[in-house]
Amino acid sequence: MASSDPTSPLPAARPLSPHLGIYRFTLTMAMSIAHRITGAGLYVGALLLAWFLLAASMDASAFSYFSGFIQSIFGRLILFGFTWALFQHLLGGVRHLIMDAGYGMDEPEREQMALATLIGGLALTLVVWAIVVAAG
Amino acid sequence: MNESDKSLRSALGRARYLGSARRGSQDAWLTHVSAAALVLLASGFVLMLLTLLNKDYNGVRAELSHPFPAILTLLFAIVATFHMQLGMRSIILDYLHGHAREWALVANICFASAVGLACVYAVLRIGFV
Repeated sequence: MASSDPTSPLPAARPLSPHLGIYRFTLTMAMSIAHRITGAGLYVGALLLAWFLLAASMDASAFSYFSGFIQSIFGRLILFGFTWALFQHLLGGVRHLIMDAGYGMDEPEREQMALATLIGGLALTLVVWAIVVAAG
Repeated sequence: MNESDKSLRSALGRARYLGSARRGSQDAWLTHVSAAALVLLASGFVLMLLTLLNKDYNGVRAELSHPFPAILTLLFAIVATFHMQLGMRSIILDYLHGHAREWALVANICFASAVGLACVYAVLRIGFV
């Protein structure tokens, strides 16, 4: 092959390392990516937890400022997203613990587990928010 | 004189259990252990938060002053911020290089510690002040 000649100015015709764009979309891949993204989201969202606890530790006006935010549409939207990210990441973590123990990596199980984290995360989010809405 | 000349350990013994990255398995192990703990702690914390629905300032403080909710919140905050520091650390090590990586690692420790300590401070203040 002429292009493998080190004196040739043309790039060698060897195969390149595969990059993100060439992979076929799969559910297990999507759930793996979702695990990292929800983890990063929870990292930032931890500020909400600190704000809630600090507000409760200060005076009533600091707490009403926090509860005013969290009961606004925007605040509820963020808290809903935080709830989903928490459950998605929690179930994804359990899935990774199971796979790291050496189970569930074959054909039906791995797809079922990936689907279970997706459905379970959404279901737990809806259950928690049904309780929130029912409580008014 | 390099290490292989003065060490009594065999070449295989020195290489064994070191992957291509040579280190980092401790981070992965601690991530797993804290993750397992957080399955219980996060579930318990969410259940406790649901009992706080419709409670006002005094009601929330009264609840968080009890030992069980306070200790659950402390454990959750400490283990969660420890776990998220490890997770963000692995994201940084995957995507950033050079000086950006160094600064991001420092910022990560500062942010996670600040959030964790703020939570601990607040819970203790509610209980003791």
